[in-house]
Amino acid sequence: MKYAFFPGCVLESAAKEDYLATVAVARKLGIEIEELDGWTCCGASHVQDIAPEVTLATNARNIALAEEKGLNLLTVCNTCTLMLREAKNELDKDAAKKEEVNKQLAQIGKQYRGTIDVTHFLWVLIRDYGLDKLKAKIVKPLTGLRVAEYYGCHILRPQEELGFEDYQVPTSLADLITAIGATPIDFSRKLDCCGFHAVYPAHDSVMQMTGSINNDAAKEGADCVVTPCPLCQMQLDMFQKEAKAVVGGDKDMPILHMSQLIGLALGITPEEMGMPARHLTSTAPVQKFVG
Amino acid sequence: MRQITYHIHRYQQGRAYVQSFSFDYEPDRTLLWGLQKIKDEQDPTLTFLAACRSAVCGACSIRVNGEAMLGCESKIDEITERFGSDEIEIAPIGNFKVLRDLVVDWESKVDRLRTVAPWIFLKAEFNEGDKIVRQTPKDFKKFVAGTECILCGCCVSECNKLTARQDDFLEPYVFTKANRFVLDSRDDAPMAHIKPAFDNGLWNCVHCMNCISRCPKHLKPAQDISNLRKEATKAGLTDSKGVRHAVAFKEDLMKTGRLKEVSMSLKSDGVVDSAKQAVYALRLWKHSKINPFELIVPQKPVNGIDGVRTLVKAAEEASK
Amino acid sequence: MEQFDVLVVGSGGAGMRAALEVGRRKGLNVALITKIFPTRSATAMAQGGVNACLNNVAPEDTIETHTFDTVKGSDYLGDQDAIEFFCSKCPEGVLEMDHMGAPFSRTAENKIAQRNFGGQSYPRTSYSADKTGHVILHTTYEQCLKEGVHFLQEWYLLDLIQVDGVLGGAVIWNMKKGKVETIKAKAIVMSTGGAGRIFWTRTTNPFLSTGDGMAAAFRAGCGLKDMEMIQFHPTGLGKTGILMSEAVRGEGGYLLNSEGERFMKKYAPNKMELASRDVVAKAIEVEIAEGRGFGGTGLDAYVVADLRHLGPEVIIEKLHGIRDLAMCFEHCDPLVQPVPIRPTNHYIMGGIDVVDYKTCATEINGLFASGECSNISIHGANRLGGNSLADGVVFGKVSGAGAADYAEKHDQINCDAELQACAEAWEGKFKEVTGRTAGRPVVEIRDALANAMWNKCGIFRDEARMTEALNEVNALIEDYKTCYVGDTDRNYNMAFVNYCEIGSMLTVAKAIVSGALWRKESRGAHTRDDYTKRDDENYLVHSIQKLREDGEYEMSTRPVVFTKYQPEERKY
Repeated sequence: MKYAFFPGCVLESAAKEDYLATVAVARKLGIEIEELDGWTCCGASHVQDIAPEVTLATNARNIALAEEKGLNLLTVCNTCTLMLREAKNELDKDAAKKEEVNKQLAQIGKQYRGTIDVTHFLWVLIRDYGLDKLKAKIVKPLTGLRVAEYYGCHILRPQEELGFEDYQVPTSLADLITAIGATPIDFSRKLDCCGFHAVYPAHDSVMQMTGSINNDAAKEGADCVVTPCPLCQMQLDMFQKEAKAVVGGDKDMPILHMSQLIGLALGITPEEMGMPARHLTSTAPVQKFVG
Repeated sequence: MRQITYHIHRYQQGRAYVQSFSFDYEPDRTLLWGLQKIKDEQDPTLTFLAACRSAVCGACSIRVNGEAMLGCESKIDEITERFGSDEIEIAPIGNFKVLRDLVVDWESKVDRLRTVAPWIFLKAEFNEGDKIVRQTPKDFKKFVAGTECILCGCCVSECNKLTARQDDFLEPYVFTKANRFVLDSRDDAPMAHIKPAFDNGLWNCVHCMNCISRCPKHLKPAQDISNLRKEATKAGLTDSKGVRHAVAFKEDLMKTGRLKEVSMSLKSDGVVDSAKQAVYALRLWKHSKINPFELIVPQKPVNGIDGVRTLVKAAEEASK
Repeated sequence: MEQFDVLVVGSGGAGMRAALEVGRRKGLNVALITKIFPTRSATAMAQGGVNACLNNVAPEDTIETHTFDTVKGSDYLGDQDAIEFFCSKCPEGVLEMDHMGAPFSRTAENKIAQRNFGGQSYPRTSYSADKTGHVILHTTYEQCLKEGVHFLQEWYLLDLIQVDGVLGGAVIWNMKKGKVETIKAKAIVMSTGGAGRIFWTRTTNPFLSTGDGMAAAFRAGCGLKDMEMIQFHPTGLGKTGILMSEAVRGEGGYLLNSEGERFMKKYAPNKMELASRDVVAKAIEVEIAEGRGFGGTGLDAYVVADLRHLGPEVIIEKLHGIRDLAMCFEHCDPLVQPVPIRPTNHYIMGGIDVVDYKTCATEINGLFASGECSNISIHGANRLGGNSLADGVVFGKVSGAGAADYAEKHDQINCDAELQACAEAWEGKFKEVTGRTAGRPVVEIRDALANAMWNKCGIFRDEARMTEALNEVNALIEDYKTCYVGDTDRNYNMAFVNYCEIGSMLTVAKAIVSGALWRKESRGAHTRDDYTKRDDENYLVHSIQKLREDGEYEMSTRPVVFTKYQPEERKY
């Protein structure tokens, strides 16, 4: 089981802890991940907004790099997943566009074929690896830990680009949380948007969105929020204090990357995964549950 | 006998409550059929709207288990199967003022629609000579999808941006309508649609993608917003944090292939706002979330950056 | 009290086009009332297209040919001067829609695309994929927004006010506020659409098509013309009545009864499923009536169209529209199972008697009518496909101009007392009607009406059945007087609005049965089993019904206008 790993920009900087945790978890599970040499930013929907032709070409190149290796492309960031899959779907559906992009790629000796899949770590764990197998590897079940499962938009919607599960009734994250011994709370805001992509222009709205998610997780009795998207994690953690100032609330809500939660259950030490050092809201209350 | 139960969010003159109605299951029936059955047989005061019952008029949109859809084309069988229950929660669509039960107020939405001048500014050439409007089949295809909007409001219902705040954003279908004219080769005044869109929150979309996931006509309002952003930027409407953010992304893509996050706030917010955030930045630094040295120490470009730059130029060239 | 120069009632293609026309006049103020948000109208459902001799595809087409096709289609009951006028205005109407931004499909020469349609000599139906009505409706709405047309939305017309044959205003139910409003107007344009809901589920029409405008004009003293002329389609979807294209038969689908029998062999052994519309429609109804349908014998019963033998290629390539409809609204994939179907009502040619096609004026001074609620008469006994959107586009404009001209030349009459009296009567009626605690539920009356009309004055028409239908309608009108509505609230009381609509339906239904009983011949869409031939000697005339003081309907006739075309047998 081997994948070309597309960490995405945020794993190189603000969410380095997700990089550490993902690599450590993959190693523990025996999933081979090889970072794709020369990958570039997916555009994060922002470059798409001003130069869609550019991101179509660069993402075609990203996928082509994985095709050269003959490996499926593994992402951990929801937005990278969506951007890469959008490019792939567009190229696979539209032969003329594919031809045009391939002309551009030819200038640098590359070609997009459409032979590999773009997948997300969460999907790999469920579809390729299997939750039973994962369960068998758990050494420190997170018994009693109440987790607000928070998907993040770009792993669910638009459904025609993603399509792993029903966008309105997803269960993958809850299933995974259950598999590692913790308890998903059936979070009322599991389908909401954290607002990350408009944090600069729509600051006030976004703080309200971020704050409501954290607040309601607390109200619904969660010990932490867990998300498969590092951008959501960043938003809910880094802006937690500011968001609280907007919507009120007094409880701190630890925000974990999905990889970190699995890592804890697999016996990886918190420190190895940047906990609590790289979190603005302390993860100590979660670490208590690691027996 | 299998029972279907609707838990209906009712509202009348300031009183909001949920009322449950059960009826005998029948195969292949729509949600709208169930509503009509309840009104006819159990409670004539239950209030909802419907007209064409064939998904072209947009009257019967309702929020079903949290998801906006048309009552007329949504099957009870599919809903019970998807959600794994014969109990169905039905509410009015979100982000609208509720008039009564499932009926929402559209009148107040009309002025917001009008903002973007949702009508054609016909090119003068078509009023000359034989006055016949001409358009190639290819140009027709470019904009026709956007004309399929039925103003049902499903894209509005779970729009996370509108839920947070409505005064600095427009309904997704308004952007779709604006973009439909921008893409129409017969229209002479793209800025008449783009500028008001820009002035009314074009860059405030949070990309939650609920609009795309809800549209019963399979339109893509978020993509329309994206195209309007592109056109606005091209036309020089760049005084927005959103534009600066996007431009910064693209610059980094060209420079190193990847994003340099630490400079992002500086570029997006401008120097003044960024200074305000200095305290915040220090906090991030403390948790190693940012590394200010990256501001002065250039990041190493990715392997193959020359190729990336060539590719970007080629793509830009081809799009001209 | 509101006051306008011109008031338009109805927000379909015709009504909004009328309002637009008045809105463009300097110095006139216009308002449009509609019982729902403007773009929900029946116009949105028209798929096929809009007829106009543009010569974009067929250079040999002429206005005259369009005229003749329409005359022939009408089975010679259409007024030929009106039809000539109509056909001559169609090109302008369609080109105006193009100028307003309607997205028409295009030819290789970059002009508006046109296709063939039933009953027409040349491809002259302009279209926008299969959404022509939708785009015309939305484009007209956009232009109304541009011109600042004043919409009074969710205002339901209760009654028109006229004094000595001159129109003065209208009394309205403000649905949101739950109160009676009065409007003074010099001119009113009625564009309120059809009345297909008298057949309840067995119609292609939206829930909105309840004949409100026809009934209100009738109560105000206006005539209703050729009301017996109603179109049916043999293949509607079983549960909803949604129109399914006749391609389902054309491509070779089998019609089967509950015994699995291709029953058309009993009715048309040679042509089988390809027999004419009325033969197929009747055959299906006989099968159901004799117990060989599925799901009993009520309005919910159906037979099936089996396409499976055509194979996936034909179904997916040629019948994908039908497949989409069947899957979406009948929850049935024709690839794997037969589709429930049954005839369905589609259009009413009859309507408010328009006496001047050049202005759409009625006999009441200041009252104008256009669109499906009107009878001008261009459709006669049978409307051609593509002529209804054209009707809306052309006569919407004509009626708007007619009303505008009239308003410019006339003063508002004094009718304050009449408006006030009518408003007070409705206010009292609201309280009395909604306050009832017993009585026959009004929806039961609606269903009984549909059953009576469908079974006894629908596809089968003969003296005995229709006499029964008339008696039943009269009995329902009595029941209606004491019926139970069940909602006393004022704010958005749809039960009350539905009650009013059912009142309109009863009024219109009685005119339909009375007209059909009177017309002892078969012509166009009106096919009688006891008078199977066209009878030009006695019935080449319009039927006109008026409401007498005692509440009875009075029948009179008016000659059909001929210009060039003498009646001949209609053969295709």
